[in-house]
Amino acid sequence: MKKKLTTMEIGGRTVHIRPEKFYWSDFFMALPAVLILVLITYYPIAELIRISFTDWRLTSNVYDYVGFKNWNWLFTAKTSTRYLSNSLRITVIYTVGNIAIDLGIGLLLAHLFNRLTKPFAAMRALIFMPRYIAMSSCGIIFLWMLNTDYGVINKMLEWVGVTEHINWLGDDQNALISILILTGWHGIGYCMMIYLSALLGISKDYYEASSLDGATGLQQFRYITLPLLSPTTLFLFITTFISSMKVYQSVDVMTGGGPRQKTEVMVYYIYRLAFDDNRLDRASVVALLFFVILLLVTASTLRVTNKNVHYEA
Amino acid sequence: MSNNNALISPFAKKKIAEAIRLILAIMVTVVMVFPLYWLLATALKTEDEVMSATITFWPKVIQWQNFSYVINKVPFFKYMLNTAVVTALQMSSELLLGILAAYAFSKGKFHGKHACFLIVLGAMMIPIQVTFIPLYIIIARVGLMNTYWGVWIAGCVSSYAIFLLRQAFMTVDDSYLEAARVDGMNKLGVLFRIMVPMCKPTMITVALTAFMGGWNNYFWPKVIVKVQDMYVLTVGVQRLRTSYGGEITNNYHQIMAGVLLSIIPVFIVFAIFQKHMLSGFTKAAMK
Repeated sequence: MKKKLTTMEIGGRTVHIRPEKFYWSDFFMALPAVLILVLITYYPIAELIRISFTDWRLTSNVYDYVGFKNWNWLFTAKTSTRYLSNSLRITVIYTVGNIAIDLGIGLLLAHLFNRLTKPFAAMRALIFMPRYIAMSSCGIIFLWMLNTDYGVINKMLEWVGVTEHINWLGDDQNALISILILTGWHGIGYCMMIYLSALLGISKDYYEASSLDGATGLQQFRYITLPLLSPTTLFLFITTFISSMKVYQSVDVMTGGGPRQKTEVMVYYIYRLAFDDNRLDRASVVALLFFVILLLVTASTLRVTNKNVHYEA
Repeated sequence: MSNNNALISPFAKKKIAEAIRLILAIMVTVVMVFPLYWLLATALKTEDEVMSATITFWPKVIQWQNFSYVINKVPFFKYMLNTAVVTALQMSSELLLGILAAYAFSKGKFHGKHACFLIVLGAMMIPIQVTFIPLYIIIARVGLMNTYWGVWIAGCVSSYAIFLLRQAFMTVDDSYLEAARVDGMNKLGVLFRIMVPMCKPTMITVALTAFMGGWNNYFWPKVIVKVQDMYVLTVGVQRLRTSYGGEITNNYHQIMAGVLLSIIPVFIVFAIFQKHMLSGFTKAAMK
C-alpha cells in the first residue's frame, strides 16, 4: 500500500495529511446491500407512483394510462372517501390506543419491576416472552380466549358477576378493543425492558439530592424521572407509532377487518383493494397516501420533540 | 397517617412496601403468562373439556393425539421446512451483506459513502406494507411466486442490521486493522477474522433478530405464496381454523396444538440465547 502524504503548513507547523482515498474494494462491499435496498424499497415507490396513473387490474397484464383518474377517485368518490376516512380513523384510534397502552403500562411495569434480584429478572423474562411469538399465533390464542361462548375470559367474568357473555370480536365497539388487548399484551414487555434500562441509567444522586430538599416521590417522578426518560419515550413513541400504523397481522387473524369495517385499518384496506377487489391502481393510490402520512407524522414528531427532549442525564 | 408513622418503624415500612411490590409483580406476571399457559392447557385437552360450561384448568388425561391430528390435517412438517429454509436464507444474507456493508460504512473509504449510508437509513422508513403491490408484480413477473426466493427477496437485506453492525464496527480501533494489514492479511481477512469475532455480541443480536423476523414473518409470505404446499408456518397454521370446505371451525384444542408446535423452535432458541436476547433487544434500542 503506497501512502502519498501531502504536506501542509498549519499555524506555523508542518502537518502531513493523507489525501482522501477511493478504494474500489470498499465500494464493492457496500454495493450489494445498497443495490438490493434500492431495488426492493425505493424502486417500488417509483412503481407505485406509475401504477397510480394506470387502470391496472390484478387479473390482467395490459393496462392504460388514465391520468389522475385514481387520484380523483381517492378524493371525491363516495365509496373511497367513506372507506378511506373509516380506515384512517380506525388506524388513528388504534395507534393512539396502542401507544398509550404500551408506553403507559410499560413505564408503570418498569417501575414495579425495578429490582435487580433473581426472581424479578425471571419475571421480567416471562413478561417479555410474548414478543418472540408471531403475532398471527398470538392472535389465534386470543381468538380462543375471547370466544363468546367458550372463551376463558368470558367465563372468568362470570365469577365476578358478568353473566351476560361479551361478544368481544363481533361487536362494533369491542372488536378494536380486543385487538388492542392482544397487541398490548404482545408489546408491553418490550417497552418495560427499554424503560427499565433507561431508569437504571439515571444517577441516584438526583433522587438523594431532591429528597434532602423535601421532594415527594410523585414530584421526583414528575421533575426528575420523566424529563430524563424523554429520549427513551421519544424512541419508543416513534417505533410504536410506526409499528401501530402498519398493523395488519392481528387484524387479519382476529377480525378480518370486520365487523362492518370497524377494524379495517389502512394496510388491511390497501390489501383488500389489491387482492380482493383486484384494483392494483386504486390500492397504489391509497398506499402512496399511507406512505406520505407515515413520513409526515414521523418527521414532524422528530422536529417538535427534539426541542423538548432532554438528552443530558 | 401520622399515627401510622409513629407505630410502624421506617424499616418495617420498607419491608411491607417491598412485599407489596413482590405480590403485585407476581400478579402481573401471572396475567401476562396466562395466555401462554392457556395455549398449552388447551392443546392437551379433549373436545368436551374445551367446549364445557366450566373451566378446566388442566386436562384430566393428556391428549397427545391432538398433535398427530394437526400433523395429518395439514402438511405440518412441510410448513416447518419452508419456514426453516426461508429463515436460514434470510439470516445468512442479512448477516453476510450486512457485515460487508457495515465494514464499508464504518472503516471503508470511498466517494458517496455518506450518500449510500443515507440510502440505507432511508429504507427503514419505507415498510413492506407500502411497497408490497409493486414488489408483488415484480416477483410475479420474474416467476418467483410461490418459491423460497420470492419470500426471501423482500427480507434479504436489513438496513437495521447494517446500522447495528456499523455501530459495533466503529468501536473497533483502527490499530488492530493496521496491525493485521501489516502482517499481510487482506481486507476480507481483517473483516471476518478480526472485526467479526471482536463484535460477537452484536453478531448474535443481529442473527437472533433475523431469526425472529424470518420465523414470525406473516404479511409478505401471505402476499406472495398462494400454493398451500409452500406456506410458511404462520400462514399455514391459520388453515387449521377452517374445515376442508373453508368454514370457520371451533376445534380449538387442535388449533392450539398446531400453534404450540409452530412456536416450539422459537422457545428452544429463546431458552438457549435467553440472556443474549433480552440484552440484545434492549441494547439495540439504546443506540
